[in-house]
Amino acid sequence: MATTIPLFASFKYADSLTVVGISICTALVCEAISWILIYRTSSYKSLKYSIDKAAKKLETMKTENPSSKLSIKKSKTKKIDRVETSLKESSRDLSLFKFKSGAVVALVLFVVFGLLNSLFEGKVVAKLPFHPITIVKKMSHRGLKGDDPTDCSMAFLYLLCSISIRTNLQKFLGFSPPRGAAGAGGLFPMPDPKTN
Amino acid sequence: MKEGKSSKSNQQEQHEQIYHQNSHLGSFKFAKLFDSEASWDKDQLGDVLHWIRQVVGLLCGLVWGAIPLVGGIWLLLFLAISSGIVYGYYALILKIDEEDFGGHAALLQDGLFASLSLFLLAWILVYSLSSF
Repeated sequence: MATTIPLFASFKYADSLTVVGISICTALVCEAISWILIYRTSSYKSLKYSIDKAAKKLETMKTENPSSKLSIKKSKTKKIDRVETSLKESSRDLSLFKFKSGAVVALVLFVVFGLLNSLFEGKVVAKLPFHPITIVKKMSHRGLKGDDPTDCSMAFLYLLCSISIRTNLQKFLGFSPPRGAAGAGGLFPMPDPKTN
Repeated sequence: MKEGKSSKSNQQEQHEQIYHQNSHLGSFKFAKLFDSEASWDKDQLGDVLHWIRQVVGLLCGLVWGAIPLVGGIWLLLFLAISSGIVYGYYALILKIDEEDFGGHAALLQDGLFASLSLFLLAWILVYSLSSF
């Protein structure tokens, strides 16, 4: 099946550019849908504002009253707990709100992945410059014939595109979740200083 | 009268929200990037470190793919270089106290996963297109 435009026909792995191009378009469409359904709504804006405000307030309160101080008043601790509870509730509401609208985005991604799969099933779209570990190889060699571990399938390339392009696009457009909502998450969860 | 007062407070809150949303962009000046005396907001610093990681990831991916460098060791080297640059930037150029921003781990993890994906994408693409 002809999937490359004549300009890139001389490249053996020109299909990789098609995958990247479709990923970029998909990311733009998904963010446009997210903006229409989520980010422009007053509910989202006010939730984000509450989370940012609560997170900053909590940070200020914890800085002024570090948990190591024995003389910390009970009222201050209660106040900190109240703000923390409010922050957690707002973060939960935000996640729930985004989840409901995110179903449409998930459907778009599913359809695009299905389309790419039908276009590039069994095809080597790129070459890996390293030998992947077993877990990665299950994705990178998905649906491919042969034993060459450096053959790259569409699925792995699409995954890399999705993560890198969508994350940076969201960051650039200012649609990333507020840091207060992310809390101590991420790759390295930070221990709660209150429990130490 | 009460309705007038509540609509006025709603308007004020809306203005506050808009100001808060735009305050990051409006108050940021590029000269701050190399000013060790500047004070940093947690969000602003996190964003700067994120974008530094993305630029380093993209550049390394393009260079690694063009040479080309082959082997998993170069992935580890990228992680070391990327983390080293970020650490050097906030510790030596900005001279900030990492405890004020959640510690070294919190600062080093900003943008790490996205930059790793971007690096791999660039490295694989350039290698595949230029070497075959």
